[in-house]
Amino acid sequence: MARNIVVAGVGGQGIITTARILAEAALIEGRNVLVAETHGLSQRGGSVVVHVRVGDVEAPLIPPGMGDLLIGLEAIEATRYASLLAPRASVVMNEDIQPPALPRVKTPSLSEILGALKTAGLRVHSINAVEEAVKLGDARSANTLLLGYATGLGLLDGVAGQESLEEAVARVIRRSRVAVEAYRRGLQLASGH
Amino acid sequence: MPHREVLAEPGTRVVMLGNVAIARGALEAGVAYASGYPGTPSSEILEALGEASKKLGGPHVEWSINEKVALESAYGASLSGVPAMATMKHVGLNVAADPLFSLAYTGTPSAIVVVSADDPGMWSSQNEQDNRWYGVHAYIPVVEPSGVQSAREAVIEAFNISRRHGHPVILRTTTRTSHTRGVVEVGEINVEAVRSKGRFKRNIDRYTLVPSHARKLRIELLDRWERIEEDLSRSNLNSIEGDGETLILGVGLGYRYAKEAASLLGVEARIAKLQTPVPLPRTFLHKALEGVNKVLVLEEGDPVVEQMLKAFLHDEGIRVEVHGREDGYIRRWGELGLDNVVEALSRVTGVEASLPKPVRVEASLPPRPPALCPGCPYRGVYPGLRRAVRSSRAEVVYSGDIGCYSLGVLPPFRVQDTIVEMGGSIGLANGMARVAEGQVPVAIIGDSTFFHSGVTGLINAVHNRNPMLVIILDNRTTAMTGHQPHPGVPVDAKGGEAPQVDIEALVRAIGVEHVETVDAFTIRGVEKAVRRAMDYVKREGKPAVLIARGSCILVALSQARKLGIKHPVYRVNPDKCMACTVCYTAFNCPAIFSLEDGKAKINPVLCTGCGVCVEVCPFNAFEPVEEPSEEWILLMRTATPG
Repeated sequence: MARNIVVAGVGGQGIITTARILAEAALIEGRNVLVAETHGLSQRGGSVVVHVRVGDVEAPLIPPGMGDLLIGLEAIEATRYASLLAPRASVVMNEDIQPPALPRVKTPSLSEILGALKTAGLRVHSINAVEEAVKLGDARSANTLLLGYATGLGLLDGVAGQESLEEAVARVIRRSRVAVEAYRRGLQLASGH
Repeated sequence: MPHREVLAEPGTRVVMLGNVAIARGALEAGVAYASGYPGTPSSEILEALGEASKKLGGPHVEWSINEKVALESAYGASLSGVPAMATMKHVGLNVAADPLFSLAYTGTPSAIVVVSADDPGMWSSQNEQDNRWYGVHAYIPVVEPSGVQSAREAVIEAFNISRRHGHPVILRTTTRTSHTRGVVEVGEINVEAVRSKGRFKRNIDRYTLVPSHARKLRIELLDRWERIEEDLSRSNLNSIEGDGETLILGVGLGYRYAKEAASLLGVEARIAKLQTPVPLPRTFLHKALEGVNKVLVLEEGDPVVEQMLKAFLHDEGIRVEVHGREDGYIRRWGELGLDNVVEALSRVTGVEASLPKPVRVEASLPPRPPALCPGCPYRGVYPGLRRAVRSSRAEVVYSGDIGCYSLGVLPPFRVQDTIVEMGGSIGLANGMARVAEGQVPVAIIGDSTFFHSGVTGLINAVHNRNPMLVIILDNRTTAMTGHQPHPGVPVDAKGGEAPQVDIEALVRAIGVEHVETVDAFTIRGVEKAVRRAMDYVKREGKPAVLIARGSCILVALSQARKLGIKHPVYRVNPDKCMACTVCYTAFNCPAIFSLEDGKAKINPVLCTGCGVCVEVCPFNAFEPVEEPSEEWILLMRTATPG
């Protein structure tokens, strides 16, 4: 079985870190993994997408229509890359909206975005991950919070379990105390879902 | 980034970036000298080697001033008897092409591998050139790993081929190999070899390419080329699997797409993995083509193998259908993708493809191009520049260059009229200065790019008295590619101390008379300095240089974290804000956004505390939440990587 996970957001939000945690966790459980990243120019506050493929896979990129989960660190970017997903795939999304750094562009509202994703038949699970992470002391931990949330919803089955993911967070993030706490907070939020 | 996994224990399986796997392969192959110039998607190779070298005491690793010097340095090391490597992005090899061609003539008494990281899809580049052509052009064999999974072995074999033939090898990687992370099982690092030194043994007939020597070496080169081709036909980098009337020739990463597409479609096909595309190994191809009547060639970039294959088939009198990029089965531009490959394979085999239909989300989304970061020192320079140009009533051409400041091409700044190649800003300005009537060229170039190839254009401008304003944006690092050092900062490739070359002193020594260094974080300061320089250029008809200095905010922030210095955050006083919009339109800081009523608000998560918004606001609505510390104010202006 293969899992195809899209991680999307705005450059600087820790998108590559999120994908690295998934990859380390998959390896801890002995699974094959490929992570196709975006570096360089596109990374500077631009739209960033990373492809994570776990299991029996060879090629680095997820073909459109074969993504089974999208982890969105920002709502507009989550929506942009939803076209990589299969019908009825899941979206785990941060409710944060960052207006692009372009003068005078119209930014959709969260309710418009949620409506569009649901109308498309996607199963959307959204939380305000930044707000929760700030409460724990570091906004940058919104990413591990989302990973905890996805774990709690059972959406990372076939990638890795809680124990491996926590170990991966500690391996990938240097000062990982808040990041691990955020991961656990995500799990907790999912159980109350 | 430290890339510590480059030193993983032998025999372990670790998740590694393709570029780190390339570095690891080189260490196992015993590379003793490595040089390069940063460029996406190549930069992490040398970064990882620098990290390894700190612990192992070898190889010698250095960031060079540009790719030409990087290749020459590796060339010299290899002639002195040690295995060497030079790394660069695809367009960097254009800069290094001169030594590359000579390298094939002289060969090497040791080994040398030139890494070219190509960027099909142009994720971070100005073109999508395929550098396997350089192999064909310069008579240098090309090794192309089939993805991150084989990058380590491919590099080791590249060094072996180089050693066996005393000939350079090009290792061609692409974005999806270099910047894909995968599971890599690592072997033993050759510690003794990476620390080794050599001796230059004089061989004047071989190493001095005067015409009489070069003519003999040319004959020898052609002879060596034949032997290399025969050798590559036996290389364990190439293999054949499966059977069927259709051959999928998977070149480099193309092999991975071949495997997955065949399995998705459920077709019986023979798959050949070709990791040595240049020169085309003929005996291997004969074997791969036995009993086949159709070929689908999958390769990243141009139809290099496809064209050579057609010539081979013609020579050998073999009649098979060949499909690939030339007939549009695979689209001619961009990267390979499974969807396109499955569709092509379906057309070739007649097996119906049934890939799932992607979901359609009906939402109108704003574009999100990359942008100058909140707190970027260049954000204040551009409005200062534009105000000065407006008030000086000069008509200008903004001759732009390659780096973060290229993002000045976007609204609202629009201060890059040309962006063509590294150093091109000053180069092009030389011609504009003499021909574009009534227009003053303003060349905008970064610190690292200035050292790379801007300084030569400036010497030219001084000598030929070409009037232009050159603005050197000095953020104290090579920022776009991940904060590597350059000759203007006191840090080397291993993070150790290094002498720094003073840009202002260099520019004065060239003979530029009007030189000024200005703090990049003051719009008015920049504006006044630009006015003075413009007036000088118009009055004297000579080049002037303005150095706008301010550290890359990402480097300053990372240093602040290490040193325990807190950066301030700013906020908007809603009573003072008059909703004039200047801060989020003309200044366009990504940390400032507009509320329903048009008033500004700062996102405290994004604010980096540069404080330039205070100067931007005509109503003094911005204020720090806590007063910024002296240490932070200094760090913003002085931080360097390492």
